Amino acid sequence: MVPLIEINGLTKYFGDLCAVDHIDLEVGNEIFGLLGPNGAGKSTTVRLLTTLLTPNSGSARVCGYDVVKEPNKVRESISYVPQDMAVDIKLTGRENVRLYAKIYRVPDRENQVDNVLELMELTERADDLVRTYSGGMRRRLELAQALVHKPNVLFLDEPTLGLDVAARKKIWEHISMLRERGMTIFMTTHYMEEADEYCDRVAIIDKGNIVTVDSPKNLKQRLGTGASMNDVFLENIKTAEEEGFDAFRFRSMLRRRT
Amino acid sequence: MRAIIHYFERDFKKWTRGRINVFSSLMMPAAWLILVGLTLPTKFTDNYLEFITPGILVMTMLFSSLQGGSLMIFEKMLGFLNKFLAMPAPRESILFGKIMFITTRGLLQTTVILIIATLLGVRLENPMNIVLIYITLFLFGVLFSSLSTTVALHLSDHDGYAAVSSMVSMPLFFTSSALMPYDVMPEWLRFMAHLNPVSYAIDSTRELFTGGIPFEGIAGLAVAAAIMLIIGIYQFRKATV
Repeated sequence: MVPLIEINGLTKYFGDLCAVDHIDLEVGNEIFGLLGPNGAGKSTTVRLLTTLLTPNSGSARVCGYDVVKEPNKVRESISYVPQDMAVDIKLTGRENVRLYAKIYRVPDRENQVDNVLELMELTERADDLVRTYSGGMRRRLELAQALVHKPNVLFLDEPTLGLDVAARKKIWEHISMLRERGMTIFMTTHYMEEADEYCDRVAIIDKGNIVTVDSPKNLKQRLGTGASMNDVFLENIKTAEEEGFDAFRFRSMLRRRT
Repeated sequence: MRAIIHYFERDFKKWTRGRINVFSSLMMPAAWLILVGLTLPTKFTDNYLEFITPGILVMTMLFSSLQGGSLMIFEKMLGFLNKFLAMPAPRESILFGKIMFITTRGLLQTTVILIIATLLGVRLENPMNIVLIYITLFLFGVLFSSLSTTVALHLSDHDGYAAVSSMVSMPLFFTSSALMPYDVMPEWLRFMAHLNPVSYAIDSTRELFTGGIPFEGIAGLAVAAAIMLIIGIYQFRKATV
């Protein structure tokens, strides 16, 4: 396995709160899912890897480039789709994608814009204002934007959050298709069934620590027959109630920074 | 740095597509000029409209620039900034794109005011000075839009920003030399007006209207704008989310 993402002792504090606590991880050419309860450090990890935050200690390399020392090399090799569904509703789908193509200085721009719109099945609606798009279409538009410069690694933060079942299935079909075309996908999710079905490997993160890393199949087998990913998740996560963990404080602390 | 143009183009398109925004942003300063300029009973000048026009021009740039900071707050709140910061284009191009949009919008607004003022009889002593008026307003716009955008980069509460911006903008305007000359001001106001950066822009613009060339005023604005830009560039380069 050629590691596209190598994480060594990566640590991030917000004040005296340790959001990511000395994690080590290697991700190859696969769909890698980062699972964990709210406030476990999933989004912080993604933001560290996408150069949006600087770690307090430890290091991470994405596509061979150090996220602290060579942030621009990393930015050229990746795409990042945050949770928020940030697309311009007063622009058309094509204009949204074209903006990214211009900023990334994509060669043969118009053709490439057409390609990614086609890939995300948005060609027919490409010249409509995004205001008229459904949630699922907006998410696919974000994927089209993210793909326009042909990144090596795609970071997705909760890509199916807030979408209905059909839209979620469609997003996953597209993500799987990208995987078949050789793209590496690093994502976070709350939906255990989805992680089970589509991720090659998952890591469970709790309070900034990676608790376990393996394929969903192996993780389930360890618990015995009939175990689901939900069982695996609950087995590995010490819930807030048990430990008296102040999830509210943690989340409001993170929110202040977004 | 071509990304500046792309960011600018995005904001401009979004602005022009909300027609009500365009209309309202052009109406407010026009209302000021006509309602205040033509009605206020003043004794120190027989043509108050001529006196107040430079003040309204600078006020328009000021309000427009300060209000422009909310653009950056929304980029943050809606998640666009995260995406832009993860892209390889120089991060300061986000700042420059905003400055370019905010000042362009402000200059379009001031153009409408200049046209209305001309129709109402205001004349320039030296028509060539119009270029310098635009340069003065541009520098003033760069100063305040880079300030507001950089401040907004560190905030994530739109209501809070709007409150602060209106708290700052009104006093800045009323304690400037926009509405009356220094010699008719009460002592305390004269003191404040002399310290107020908005007065520099207004006095320079007023001098340009009457045919003079305020080298010092324009140079001062250029230096202030440059300093603010450097601070902004630094803040954007090291920005984390």
